[in-house]
Amino acid sequence: MGNLIWHEYARFVSLTASAYTIWAAFWGVLYRKFFWDFVGGIVRNPGGIQPNPNVSVMITLIVKAPVIQIFAFVLGCAIVMVEYPAPFLKNTIFSRSLLVKTMMLLVQSVLAILFYQGTNGAIWSLVAMGCYIRAQMLGEKVEEAKQNRGRGGKA
Amino acid sequence: MGESWFRREFLTPRRLIFNVGFYGLHLFFFAYGWYSQATNTRLSALNGLKWSVWTSRGAGLVLAFDGGLILLPMLRNVIRVIRPRLAWAFPADENIWFHRQVAYSMAFWAMVHTTAHYVNFFNVERTQVRPEIALDIHYTQAGGITGHFMLLIMVLMYTTAHHKVRAQCFEAFWYTHHLAFFFMIGLYSHATGCFVRDDAEPDYITSFPFYSTEHCLGYESWRFVIWPGIIYFGERVWREIRARRATRLSKVLVHPSGAMELRIIKPSFKYVAGQWLFIQVPDVSGFQWHPFTITSAPEDPYVSVHIRQVGDWTQGLGERVGAGPSVVQSLTQAAMKGKEKDENSQYGTRGDFVELDPSYSARPLPVVRIDGPYGAPAEDVFKVEVAVLIGAGIGVTPFASILKHIWYRQRKGTLGSLKRVEFFWVCRDAPSFGWFQSLLQEVEAAQADPNFLRINIYLTQKIGEDMLWNIAVNDAGAEYDPLTLLRTRTMFGRPDWNSIYSRMRQAVETGQYLPGTNAQLRTKVGTYFCGPSVLAKSIKEACVANSSAHVNFSFAKEHF
Repeated sequence: MGNLIWHEYARFVSLTASAYTIWAAFWGVLYRKFFWDFVGGIVRNPGGIQPNPNVSVMITLIVKAPVIQIFAFVLGCAIVMVEYPAPFLKNTIFSRSLLVKTMMLLVQSVLAILFYQGTNGAIWSLVAMGCYIRAQMLGEKVEEAKQNRGRGGKA
Repeated sequence: MGESWFRREFLTPRRLIFNVGFYGLHLFFFAYGWYSQATNTRLSALNGLKWSVWTSRGAGLVLAFDGGLILLPMLRNVIRVIRPRLAWAFPADENIWFHRQVAYSMAFWAMVHTTAHYVNFFNVERTQVRPEIALDIHYTQAGGITGHFMLLIMVLMYTTAHHKVRAQCFEAFWYTHHLAFFFMIGLYSHATGCFVRDDAEPDYITSFPFYSTEHCLGYESWRFVIWPGIIYFGERVWREIRARRATRLSKVLVHPSGAMELRIIKPSFKYVAGQWLFIQVPDVSGFQWHPFTITSAPEDPYVSVHIRQVGDWTQGLGERVGAGPSVVQSLTQAAMKGKEKDENSQYGTRGDFVELDPSYSARPLPVVRIDGPYGAPAEDVFKVEVAVLIGAGIGVTPFASILKHIWYRQRKGTLGSLKRVEFFWVCRDAPSFGWFQSLLQEVEAAQADPNFLRINIYLTQKIGEDMLWNIAVNDAGAEYDPLTLLRTRTMFGRPDWNSIYSRMRQAVETGQYLPGTNAQLRTKVGTYFCGPSVLAKSIKEACVANSSAHVNFSFAKEHF
């Protein structure tokens, strides 16, 4: 496929997925629900799904206290900072290593798949991860960030 | 950018009208969707979900509107037909810009709609207003499945449409953007799950549209927004049919600068100067269509495009016609040698182009298909009295056709109101566009009236010492410019547009510029620019600043 630079493309997907996850995690705090609660759960009218007691750990971490959502929120913000990259992260190991980004995306997709709102964020994180893995397989290197050399249109 | 966001968006009348109309309509549809849901007594059970269902219905209606709008700017053939009639009403050449605005708006409202639905389904499950759980709606019903698919397609389409990706690998953008087909299917069938209904179970029927409008109370917006989709699909089919009409690649010329000139004969292909076309070479790629500017004039018996071998497709094409990079390189070297040999002649030549002889190679010339032509504002040059043609860098290509066309019209004496042509060519290094120079040479040599066409070439690159000496020694007193081999002198550095335009205005006003024109009439000076947008802005500012009661400077920009 042409001369597509995979890690540069992956960055866009990763930013999108992380932004989605941040937004989803925010709503996940307001409307708490364990995504997998239908497994072994029973439906009550009214009240919705009553999850299986076997998954009470997840219910504690997601419904009783939104721990997973807050983790996902923080991690999403961290990925956006690494990818953008935030000024203090420029040219550090975080914004230059494709492996670090892949790992962060993997954790993000694991966190996001656990709560109700995060599914798409998890899938898109996996897509971004796949692109990063492809970039590493092709041996792509992150280019040195350009120093302050001015922008086009400005003298 | 120098000017503030507020100034650009709100203090420019045209942009203000667009913003108020475009975003006003969006807000109106949102409000209407909200209101009609909130006040519908038949949907009172759904209204128990409160603000989230009102928001999702409102945003859904806005998205339907956007889904109808997004294809409108892509109806290239329709735009080409209506452009001359409606150019005053909307900038038909800004179609890609409009497409992007709709896309941005679509992303925003998709966020609103999806967020609201996540809350809706959560509450449907909790209150059991319908006997189903949230994930049933998300992943087993038409609305949820198509919605999630459309979001995924949007992620892929938006990310590959980034200008960086398009520049790196146009194919990635080109192929991914065809997911739009599935996106549109998803959009039109999004409501077939009958989510908006007045009873607990959906009321499906066996005939089209497979749900009963007695109980399914959606907006039925697909009845409206499907039309642009159908027209677009028809247009694609029509383009395919048109592309299959008899087309023959008659000649391939290789210019010493490395550009290939394809001369194509297609009798059914009618165009005007300054337009562009899509070209496909099935031997190189069966699906890809690549845009190129037409460089022949409509009077020519063939359609020609000049292709430089810069990307993988153009290189593949070069290999296929037997003009691969190695061939071109040796040609260029031969041309340079030839130049050295000719040194003691009056002036050097850049070496002539070489025609590739198809019988010479084992394979015949490849089959090509062309699709087009598509519009560009430079069709209007004959309506103004003075045409200022400005090409920057590779943006000079459409002017090849225009200059040739003007030349043909000049010979026939059908120039319309056009009295003078000022041609500006701003580029970093002129020698890389050798083929264009040879064209300019022809046009310049054919000028009978020395004042009709004036060629101004500006070279903006930093000049090395060798080149400086070369110019200093060779330029003085020579009949031809040593760099471009034109009679016109090359100027160095960036042009100062403001002073160029103000001098032109003064000359027009004092009657020196256009002898015999009545000073009481307003002289129309049209500027036609092709090149980077930073330069476009400064030229446009100079045009606006110098318009006076007697001279009207207008500005038009071309896009690729």
